[in-house]
Amino acid sequence: MDVSDARTSEARLIDELLAFIASGDIEGIGDDAFNRLALRVFAHQFDHNAPYRRFAVQRGRTPRTVRSWREVPAVPISAFKDLTLSCRPPEECERVFMTSGTTRGVRGKSHHPTLAVYDRSMTANFARRFMPADPGRPDQRQARLRMGILFPTEEAMPNSSLAHYLALALREFGTSDSRHFIGDGGLDVAAVTAELERAERDGEPYALLGASYGFVHLMDALRALGRRFSLPAGSRILDTGGFKGQSRELEPDEFYECLSAFFGVPRSACINMYGMTELSTQFYDDGNAVCPSVKSGPHWIRSRLINPLTGEEVPDGAVGVLVHHDLAHFNCASAILTEDAGIAAGGRFRLLGRADGADAKGCSMAVEEFLKAARP
Amino acid sequence: MAAHDAEIAGHLPGLAADEVAWRTLAFARGGETLEVAVPALDEAQVARLAAHVRAAACRLRERPVGAIAAAIDLAVARLLDRSDPWRRKAERLLPLVTGYDAEMVRLGLTSYLKTFRRPQLQTFLVEDFGNPLVLDDFQPIPKGGFARAFGPGLLLHVWAGNVPGLPLWSLVSGLLVKAGTVGKLPSAEPLFAGWFARILAEVDPDLADCLAVVWWKGGDRGGDEAQERAWLAQADTVLAYGGTEALDAIRRRLPVTTRFLPYGHRISFAMVARSALDTGKAQAVAGRAAWDVMRYDQQGCYSPQTIFVERGGRVSPRDFAGYLAGELAGLEIRHPRRALSLEEAGSVAAWRHAEETKGFADPGRTLLGDPAGAWSVACVDGPGGGLGEAALAPCGLNRTVTVVALDRLEDAVLGLVPYRAFLQTAGIAAAPEELFRLSGLLGGAGVTRVCALGRMTAPEAGWHHDGRFNLLDLVTLTEIEHSAEQAADDFARYAD
Repeated sequence: MDVSDARTSEARLIDELLAFIASGDIEGIGDDAFNRLALRVFAHQFDHNAPYRRFAVQRGRTPRTVRSWREVPAVPISAFKDLTLSCRPPEECERVFMTSGTTRGVRGKSHHPTLAVYDRSMTANFARRFMPADPGRPDQRQARLRMGILFPTEEAMPNSSLAHYLALALREFGTSDSRHFIGDGGLDVAAVTAELERAERDGEPYALLGASYGFVHLMDALRALGRRFSLPAGSRILDTGGFKGQSRELEPDEFYECLSAFFGVPRSACINMYGMTELSTQFYDDGNAVCPSVKSGPHWIRSRLINPLTGEEVPDGAVGVLVHHDLAHFNCASAILTEDAGIAAGGRFRLLGRADGADAKGCSMAVEEFLKAARP
Repeated sequence: MAAHDAEIAGHLPGLAADEVAWRTLAFARGGETLEVAVPALDEAQVARLAAHVRAAACRLRERPVGAIAAAIDLAVARLLDRSDPWRRKAERLLPLVTGYDAEMVRLGLTSYLKTFRRPQLQTFLVEDFGNPLVLDDFQPIPKGGFARAFGPGLLLHVWAGNVPGLPLWSLVSGLLVKAGTVGKLPSAEPLFAGWFARILAEVDPDLADCLAVVWWKGGDRGGDEAQERAWLAQADTVLAYGGTEALDAIRRRLPVTTRFLPYGHRISFAMVARSALDTGKAQAVAGRAAWDVMRYDQQGCYSPQTIFVERGGRVSPRDFAGYLAGELAGLEIRHPRRALSLEEAGSVAAWRHAEETKGFADPGRTLLGDPAGAWSVACVDGPGGGLGEAALAPCGLNRTVTVVALDRLEDAVLGLVPYRAFLQTAGIAAAPEELFRLSGLLGGAGVTRVCALGRMTAPEAGWHHDGRFNLLDLVTLTEIEHSAEQAADDFARYAD
């Protein structure tokens, strides 16, 4: 297979993916269409991604034998740390997103030859899930909202998929006076409070977006100042990523209760986004009036919950580990096995948190603790 | 579902059951359920219980240590007697609570309890004190003068983990030095320590009065921080088991005057020398190594996670890995692995995936065992001689183990250096001169216990846990200097 074949295959695939993303919403898309494209993507990755091919062959799965997207072998996300899983040579890729490397000190990488698919995936989904004018009417959307971002800029963190995601949100859906509140000097509390006061006065809906731990830092600062806000109706919050040891840990109920109390945004308008560096598509809930909320994605991503040892799907209502199949992640591996536990709920899922054995029962040392100990 | 009668956990001398709030821990396995009521004390009750235990422990000082050992022996005899109701309850409920194979729990309990019979307790005492009478009265010491050892007025044990009976080790140590003892039950196995206290109350009520067994929910999220702080403030000495973070959290909350004895998570390994790898012996050696891996599904700090195997024997490291796999498959039939939580299954799967991934790049790596099976053996037999990538590393636990091939076993020592603080047991199969040579190198690297394969999970009586003195670490010495004795002579009735 020569280079021009690879390029041609990729270009065709990108066109098909963009068309598929544009083709309407979940209800309109049958299993067949998803399956057809999933097999096409698998064949592309099998042909052009050598480590993934070895992985698939070792599992006895090749484009000749795989008939359903469920049979496409899912790569454990830890493999993104050890292997370069990219169809295109890494040096030809427009952007590389990396994980934070908080657990092992090694960063997992996802290579993107173009961000066209990632960006289309993000914007099409974000518009539906975060931009409705009113939560009950997903068809009527705001074109733009005034936004505040509690995260560094894309320029400051060029390898962060979240920085790119938030920059995209601001560029495509923010009004011209939207801005970031984390700069070289950290969180600019004075600027946030001034902005939120202005939003209260103007009465226009306002959106705060950022990492979950960023909200904790902001709320801690507001508590110290004795400040609370009551943002106008239609305002909303998007948090993502959890606390990652960057702030106090809060139980979900407490976290959303606090968000609601500090900003005057009802819990039903506090949306949690669940995304990963190893994906090109995000999941959202429809607010967090009840935790754990139900997460779902658009029609070009599907999730299964499996027993991590047997690989078999667990029945609805049982706890399993999440496997995502994201067609938009066309250059790396579309099927990934996460370390996140969830409960299946009819094609959607409740996210429970990490399933990594951190709560070891015995007194023998487990991997995570050992790696921390070995780090200088 | 067969529901067992609810169990009441803990032991609260001086507090009536109906004045205490109780919480319920629920356990369910294989169609059986059990509810365990655990006490949740308020701060005033903590203070009352602490005062009660302290006062009783003062009276304990008058009793000879030999009598305390005899009382412990009586209680242990009850638990060794398979017809005793307490023993029968333990055999019935501990497998349900912990999930371990019932037969493994039964065998493990017996061999463990045997280390706490009277002759073994005497071994404990002599190991640390030479002359145990120093716990009863002032004894002459070589430098001149006299010394007597005193245990802490209040010794708080923070137990952790689900290995049945584990709390007994430190609990007995505390009683032998006549400490007032308060132990916090581990949520994963909240029964055994309380039962022991209540058996003690049947055979020796005075001794059991010096002992309280309590519970609080630990951890930073939703833990009962008020009770924890209250106990930490009461204790003279705190002995705690747990992971690095949990121990650090306790240390940060302790007054600087409180002695802290942390027992953190440890990693252990085995070594098999060329001399043990002839065709007649290798199978048996693999069988003993498999036993150590199987016992308590590698939850113990003494459980092997890596087995270093020397090249150049009749049986190659790769073949040894095959023997080991065969033995683990056999043990799975006799002593099935307990059902794993999703987190544990995730750890096993993550370890297997990582081994597979490395195998793509390195043909010297193989992984034996079915993904859905109850054991896995990875074998690393690369040209690198086992250094670097193949150095000591934790496996996925729950019957997963890595065999690392080395040209010489001492090549492993360099790779141990970064983990000095976390090393514990090395199970060794080697000829005598190699055993001593390797033990010297391993001791220098931080290993504190060397034992035979097949004995890794059963330390002998008097074991110095993590290389420390179980009893001596608990006491303070009061010395009467020679000068005091001499000066006293001047004030005697019969002074000239």
